[in-house]
Amino acid sequence: MARALLYLRVTTLVNMVVHRVRRMRQPKYLVGFAVACMYFYFVLLRRTGALGPASPVAAGDRAMAGLVASAFICTGASLLALVRIAWAWISPEERPGLRFSEAEIAFLFPAPVARRTLIHFRLLSAQLTILFTSVLIAVFFNRAGFLGGNRTIHAVGWWVILSTFDLHLNGTKLALSRLRETSRHFLLWRVCVVAAIVLYAGAVAWSASGIVDAYLSRPGAGRGPAELVESLMASPAFRWLILPFRIVLGPYFSTGYGEFAVAIVPALLLLALNYHWVSSSEARFEEGSIALAEKRAAARAALQRGEAPKLGAFKPRARQGPFPLSPQGLPEVAFLWKNLLSMRSSLLGRRALVIVIVLLVWMASSLGPLLAGQARSGGADVYGPLIVGFCGMAAAYTLLLGPQIARQDLRSDLSNADLLKTYPLEGWRLALGELLAPTALLTLILWFTIAAAAAAVDPVGKIEWLTRGVRVTAVLGLCAAAPLLCLIQLLVPNSIMVLLPGWYQASRSRTAGIEMFGQRLIFGVVQLFFALLVILPSAGWAALIIFCSQHFLGACPAIALGAAAVLLILVTEAAVGLWWLGQRFERFDLSTESR
Amino acid sequence: MIEVEALAKQYGNFTAVRGLSFTVRPGEVLGLVGPNGAGKTTTLRCLAGIIPMSSGSARIAGHDLAVDPVAAKRALAFFPDEPRLFEYLTVRQHLAFVARIYGVADYEALAAPLLEELELSEKADVLPGELSRGMKQKLVIACGLLHSPRVMFFDEPLTGLDPLGIRRMKDSIIRRARGGAAVVLSSHLLNLLEEVCTHVLILKKGEKVADGTLAEVAARFSNGEAGVSLEEVFIRATGGSEH
Repeated sequence: MARALLYLRVTTLVNMVVHRVRRMRQPKYLVGFAVACMYFYFVLLRRTGALGPASPVAAGDRAMAGLVASAFICTGASLLALVRIAWAWISPEERPGLRFSEAEIAFLFPAPVARRTLIHFRLLSAQLTILFTSVLIAVFFNRAGFLGGNRTIHAVGWWVILSTFDLHLNGTKLALSRLRETSRHFLLWRVCVVAAIVLYAGAVAWSASGIVDAYLSRPGAGRGPAELVESLMASPAFRWLILPFRIVLGPYFSTGYGEFAVAIVPALLLLALNYHWVSSSEARFEEGSIALAEKRAAARAALQRGEAPKLGAFKPRARQGPFPLSPQGLPEVAFLWKNLLSMRSSLLGRRALVIVIVLLVWMASSLGPLLAGQARSGGADVYGPLIVGFCGMAAAYTLLLGPQIARQDLRSDLSNADLLKTYPLEGWRLALGELLAPTALLTLILWFTIAAAAAAVDPVGKIEWLTRGVRVTAVLGLCAAAPLLCLIQLLVPNSIMVLLPGWYQASRSRTAGIEMFGQRLIFGVVQLFFALLVILPSAGWAALIIFCSQHFLGACPAIALGAAAVLLILVTEAAVGLWWLGQRFERFDLSTESR
Repeated sequence: MIEVEALAKQYGNFTAVRGLSFTVRPGEVLGLVGPNGAGKTTTLRCLAGIIPMSSGSARIAGHDLAVDPVAAKRALAFFPDEPRLFEYLTVRQHLAFVARIYGVADYEALAAPLLEELELSEKADVLPGELSRGMKQKLVIACGLLHSPRVMFFDEPLTGLDPLGIRRMKDSIIRRARGGAAVVLSSHLLNLLEEVCTHVLILKKGEKVADGTLAEVAARFSNGEAGVSLEEVFIRATGGSEH
């Protein structure tokens, strides 16, 4: 039986690789693959020096930096692991399960396969992912010049860490499941285990705090954190307390093969212990595994519909519309209503949305007075430019990444394309209606960044020409341009969808490979290109008009004139884009993709 | 009224439908039959304005589909075999949305009896995810009938319906045809066509093999035999093979 399961896993892997290689014959995958390879080579491999020699760092400095960095990484990783395991006991899943695919459940659960064999199969399946991840991390996040060791040691080290954690977490789940089935004192057990974890963490913290206090009170304590780390590791109590974590992390932090050979033995023993714990479990995992598989399938389906996969509750709830929809009026509003309803269900609840808007308005309105109050102490000089810079970045990200996140438009209605096309609407009206909801959301964010930046720029009025009139006119002009900019940016991914449905469909697939990553990179570059294409000429025209007319008209009218020119350009661009998208959508037929 | 003249649809080098002409008058129900891949669904999707035809013309309720698609679509309803619904809209919200798209002013007065007829009244505030396939199909039908279309296209309308639902669906199609609607119905269920249709059109490899009233088509392929069933006619007309 084990051979059959091994055959399934190996054949699946081989077929997946063959399928991925074969699909390279299609340009969309080949180009994506090439772009992704170039990205990894030029941005990651070359920059991190993974392919080259280690960066020249003095040996002593390297040892010291390595020691401190190791301590920080160990502390962080150990804390994360401890918190995750404690959380599993604090909030156990209703029906804990092991990760099987729906097909595996359909074929293997009714088959004459022992439960223990199924557990082995699950552990074996996880090993493939863990091995791949370990190698990937070791290759791309090279630390050879910093902490010592080499890529082989790091890859094995990562494998030990991830495998032990995976096994322990699965063991915890199964132990909880078993306790729930067999023990009357399930809650008491959990309280005891969580208390033990807290006590353990407290003991570690207590044993460390004495050494830290002694280190800080010593004259010349600023010698460096390396000394503190050495002091901690010299304490027998501390060393023994963190022994399990030292064992697991030991191989990864080995600086040479000799050290590695010593470290790997206890690590493998601990791994074997965890393996025995999981594989000998008598807990029921079938129902939980089925529920888990359904959740994952639902998440995958959500992703293919263009929505963010929700790992928690997948069941959408019936909600009231965002506003009353009268049966007569502009049909575009019906799409706004529908997509806001969908957005509220998938992105933000009404209450959360109101709270966010109130908070943002309050923050923007109180920013000016707050900074003005700090002007005496120089706070405005420091925080003002920082806030303006942050707002600028937030606005740029909203325009570039916002359209990829707010997808309640044609993209989320791709499966309903046939239905939409039977509606008695011109293509451009349908496209406009579909784009209204994400435009509204992104516009709100842009308005906030504009208001906050306007409040943070020179709150005490040091800049002479930045009068209240100029400020208000500029803000109004930017706010008027914001929805058009968002609309045009949203036209880009929607146009890609109708123009290259095959590319778009492929890039949404969750079973993506490196070529999917490349495709997303291409889409990102296209989005950036269009943003620049739209913004730069408009901004150039506005600047020219303001510069030329301010001497005759004054600053405020000149800004208003510049803004009007920008709006005219943007309206024209948006109108042309909508018309084109509508035309394309009318001719769009997804079924041709499968022919 | 549906008037189709030399309709053709090509996907690259593949011709799905070629030279298809027929007319469906108000009150008539045309049954579109043919083997798998004969071009039935493609024909219906072209006539519903979902995909553009490669050549030919179609007039829906007097409006040329290519020249004035919006007016043509206002008069028609398309019922696909697979119910397509919006995940986050309840049954009632679906009707409100469709009413706004078609501008149905008194939709609430029309929706109540429709929901009653389709046994959806108790499910008015639930999402499609909570409906069975048959219920979803009924919701699609309710949405399609809300604007009182004069032309209706049904693609396998009985899929997923229970026996009572099937009976009601047949009655509904006949009643609406008698009310003056022109109906085209595609189905593999030949007994359904015999019960509901006034006319039949047999397609094979995208081309019309025969059309006319049931009696006319039966007479053409009966070889002088009496009481030949539509199933037998179909097998003889299509040569008994899928393609």
